[in-house]
Amino acid sequence: MIEVQNLTKSYGGITAIQSLNFKVNKGEVVGFLGPNGAGKSTTMKIITGFMAPTSGRATVGGYDVFENPIEVKKRIGYLPETPPVYGDMKVRDYLKYVAELKGVPKDRMAKNVERAIEKTSLGAVEKRLIQNLSKGFRQRVGIAQALVSEPEVLILDEPTVGLDPKQVAEIRDLIKELRGQHTIILSTHILPEVQATCERIIIIHRGQIVAQDSLANLTNLKAGQRRVQLKVRKAKAQLDQSLSSVNGVIGVQAGAGDQDWMIDADASEDMIERIASHVIQKGYGLLEITSAKADLEDVFLKLTYGSNQAATELEQGV
Amino acid sequence: MSKVMAIGKKEIKGFYLSPNFYVVCFLCAAIFSWVYPNVLNKFAMALQTAVYQPDMPKQQLNIHYQVFLPQLNILNLILIFVVPALTMRLFAEEKKLHTFDLLLTSPVTSAQIVAGKYLAALSAIFGLCFLSFLYPAATTVFAHLNWAPLIIAFLGIFIVGAVYAAMDIFASSLTESAVVAYVLAVIFNMAVWFVGIGVDVVDSPLARQIFEHISLNQHLMALVEGTIRTNSLIFLGSLIFLFCFLCERVVESSRWR
Ligand SMILES: Nc1ncnc2c1ncn2[C@@H]1O[C@H](COP(=O)(O)OP(=O)(O)OP(=O)(O)O)[C@@H](O)[C@H]1O
Ligand SMILES: [Mg+2]
Repeated sequence: MIEVQNLTKSYGGITAIQSLNFKVNKGEVVGFLGPNGAGKSTTMKIITGFMAPTSGRATVGGYDVFENPIEVKKRIGYLPETPPVYGDMKVRDYLKYVAELKGVPKDRMAKNVERAIEKTSLGAVEKRLIQNLSKGFRQRVGIAQALVSEPEVLILDEPTVGLDPKQVAEIRDLIKELRGQHTIILSTHILPEVQATCERIIIIHRGQIVAQDSLANLTNLKAGQRRVQLKVRKAKAQLDQSLSSVNGVIGVQAGAGDQDWMIDADASEDMIERIASHVIQKGYGLLEITSAKADLEDVFLKLTYGSNQAATELEQGV
Repeated sequence: MSKVMAIGKKEIKGFYLSPNFYVVCFLCAAIFSWVYPNVLNKFAMALQTAVYQPDMPKQQLNIHYQVFLPQLNILNLILIFVVPALTMRLFAEEKKLHTFDLLLTSPVTSAQIVAGKYLAALSAIFGLCFLSFLYPAATTVFAHLNWAPLIIAFLGIFIVGAVYAAMDIFASSLTESAVVAYVLAVIFNMAVWFVGIGVDVVDSPLARQIFEHISLNQHLMALVEGTIRTNSLIFLGSLIFLFCFLCERVVESSRWR
């Protein structure tokens, strides 16, 4: 649905993004992750046709963003960093105006506006001037504005900024609900948000993609390993020697208690199964086994702020 | 076209529902209510004395010259300062408040954006001209008037207002600050007005002809006197087109930065 090739943008001397390449399939929810100034908003602005890239190209639904901007814009709902709301308009009038701009047919206008208001719980303030709304409500109006034309592609730049926890949860649910019918790109600094909503993550740092993969892979991926936590009934069993004979186990360490063990193993799918059946066969008495994934936060920090080595390791891993 | 109407309608509502527009209308009404009866009174006196002065020039006995023309000059002066106030927010404020992002990422062309906003500005100017037109129209209660030249004269001032509007939305598109847009727009308006002075200061007949042609004053005068000249209409039309086109280019260029 969205394809970006060698996208580069420089503002005067500053290179904001450098030869980005990625693809988003129809119905996918992709999270853009990166520290401040990484180039997330810049990439989004180019995809929405708000500004031109310095070089490279982007297509949405097969239309080039700069050869066919009108076709692309018909398909996109965009929430910029600052919600583009007119203070002197009422919420409902504003949404109606946006729907008109986006070319929503007359017979669907009322229904779409109604739906957008409902999805973002704006019913209580629909008759109020936007300038009198609180920041969170303005953000919601911004989200409603992106939804009102029922676009195929939604581009949301930090959608949950300034919202209260309940509303954050609601917006996340909304995004999950939209998954499948709409293709969504959202940017954020908040990791749980990506974990809650996105299927795939693109991590950008200093204008370059340092990782792009599914959430499951990313958190696992560090050096292609996984860590398994094990608790057995028998205390002080000689598990370390016994377990190292299992195929794929890299190292075994004693855990906090004398029943606990930490196992580093490769990331193959049946690893947990093999460890479990070994423990049971040998009669250690299996109490608990959990796969302790590397935290997304760790991955993120390592990829963006940590050593460059981690990044190169990762590239090789991919 | 429906997009142009959508943008236009929104801006027209912005004008007619905002108190600022009514403050301007009130000031206009206040000025005219004071000046117009005075001028009319003077004209009535002149008519009375004219009976004893048969050699008085004909122009001085014509209500179009003696009453409506001064009123239109005042209206013109008002437009020079008021049109920029109406148009200054059209682009500058949108850029500042980031609402321009919405327009630039909606499936509308730059030309549609400019057209919508320009039409809205025209509607506001029409409102002002209509308000001023009420004064001569009210005069019909006690005098018989020639409607055609009067309407043409107001059409003329409306077209001049349209030229100001085109220049002023261009000024507004150049900057993010409404104040800068206002000042720039007033300078533009004065500039076209003052080009007329060139007629009096240059010597060569060719240069004089050129100045005469590009002076807004000359074209307005023709219309105010009730004559429609095609070259005037073409000149004013092309000025409007030129500035709308420049404005469209500026809007388009903001996509390329
Ligand atoms: N209009 C501009 N002029 C000059 N430089 C700019 C402009 N907009 C962005 N930049 C630069 O481009 C880089 C990327 O900015 P961008 O806004 O895309 O970052 P971001 O990832 O969205 O950051 P944040 O998380 O803070 O929103 C930054 O270094 C920024 O300084
Ligand atoms: Mg940003």
